[in-house]
Amino acid sequence: MISKALVTDAAIIEGILQDDDAALSRLYKLHFPMVLFFVQSNNGTDDDAKDIFQEAVIVFYEKIKAGQLELNCQIKTYLYSICRRLWLKRLSRSSRFSHGMIEDTESELAPQADGDAEQAEQNELKFEAMGNALAQLGEPCKTLLEDFYLRSMGMPEITEKFGYTNVDSAKNQKYKCLMRLKKLFFLDYQVPS
Amino acid sequence: MSERELLELLERFHQHQVTSAERRALQERMAADPVFAQRVRETELFTGALQNHGRQQTLRDRLNRHHQAWQEENQKATPATVPVLRKRTPMQIFMRRYAATMGVAATVAIVTVFSSLLGMEMWRSATKQQTARYVELRREVDDLKRKQDALLNTNPVAPKTSALNPGQFSGTGFVLTSDGYFVTSYHVIEGADSLMIENKKGTRYKVEEIYSDQVRDLALLRVTDTAFTGFGKLPYSFKQKESELGERVFTLGYPREDVVFGEGTLSSRSGVYGDTASYQISIPLNPGNSGGPLLDDRGNMIGVISGKMLGVDGAAFAVKSAYLLTLLDQLPEHRLPKPIALPKVNNLAGNPRPQQLKKLQDFVYMVKVYN
Repeated sequence: MISKALVTDAAIIEGILQDDDAALSRLYKLHFPMVLFFVQSNNGTDDDAKDIFQEAVIVFYEKIKAGQLELNCQIKTYLYSICRRLWLKRLSRSSRFSHGMIEDTESELAPQADGDAEQAEQNELKFEAMGNALAQLGEPCKTLLEDFYLRSMGMPEITEKFGYTNVDSAKNQKYKCLMRLKKLFFLDYQVPS
Repeated sequence: MSERELLELLERFHQHQVTSAERRALQERMAADPVFAQRVRETELFTGALQNHGRQQTLRDRLNRHHQAWQEENQKATPATVPVLRKRTPMQIFMRRYAATMGVAATVAIVTVFSSLLGMEMWRSATKQQTARYVELRREVDDLKRKQDALLNTNPVAPKTSALNPGQFSGTGFVLTSDGYFVTSYHVIEGADSLMIENKKGTRYKVEEIYSDQVRDLALLRVTDTAFTGFGKLPYSFKQKESELGERVFTLGYPREDVVFGEGTLSSRSGVYGDTASYQISIPLNPGNSGGPLLDDRGNMIGVISGKMLGVDGAAFAVKSAYLLTLLDQLPEHRLPKPIALPKVNNLAGNPRPQQLKKLQDFVYMVKVYN
């Protein structure tokens, strides 16, 4: 039983490393119901469960990609622990968390979950702040930066696309946009002390 | 350094296009200037977030697709997606979490309560047994000795008898045959080194143990004193049959230095714990009475006083004479220096009690035990 679960875990991690979409799908099918059940047991909705689970998966995914994952338990336990921590934080921020007690639906908890949950939360904040900043930036800055950073287009292509006279003026424009974006970003996002 | 320069520098830094001199300069400046270092870190965080943004956007889209796929699949499989989850009250959550602990605690409590109740019950029954227990009536002479010593101190002219060692224990015994056989309780002479008998007139003889029956609590003694010439004719005889319930009985004994008379009735034909070898009698008895003769109205010897029940009123016990007689019958001949010739004639019958006692008291002796 345990060895089977470990084999599944190893296959999922391998699949994520190789950008296999099936691995992610498998991860979702295997572990989302558990988190859904947990969140619903503790005054949550389907959407809450989805948000929380995705936050946890993003941290998990990025750690695997960066090779930083130190997994000394099952993926199931790891994800559950992070989701539990995240949900606790959310509950304590809202008034729904009235009785000070959380009902656990799994018995095991991963020891490193606290730090990783913290990371997941920061990640989410950064993502939101960046999304907001980009939305407020306005055209053509937004498209320019997205083309350069997100779609990895070269400066010559961008020069051509936006009709700048030369690469230097495009670069100039890019840095102006970048500095505005930075200001907007830090309006929204506080660096954790 | 302006914002723009910094951004450019960091960008080149990430694309590994910086010279080693530039890298060193940057590191030195960061080490020297904390405000600058903070700016660099913020800028790095920002660019990192920007670069991450795209990756995460695609990842999120993928996850959303999976979620949708999962949801569709799940809805197909179970039309009523997730059953409406019953909301649990805090009390229910508490119970679910601590039910096992509470169970253990309750079990421990129950076990403790019942074991302590049981223990108390056992203790009570044990102490109850102690209050109503059988005691043998041999007397320790120690306290008496002290009193005599006190007397000695106040009165310089000591009486001759008080100088004698009174022995450590004392009991009562009576004459079995006129030629020197003597009977007492076994527990009186138990562990004795030497034995003396002494009657009211002060006649003293040295005796030795011939035979003891521990089970029936009887001892057969014989006078070994050289000065002994015989007890004289015995006034009582020994009864073979068992006596009837309610018969008036009496005894003579030495619970203290003088002979004491005690009278009562035969209240049961069995002894303590249903022992059929004994009678229960209602005579007030004290330590020192053990081994005394129990006689009926007509002067038949019907038993040997053995003990009483503590904590029960008027329950004393005597070994039946029938058992004494069977004991004598069963004794092997070679163990006896002389055959035992029991008295056949009874001189007491028909006499009033004081006359009976007058005749009797010469044959009842105090047994002194030295060890």
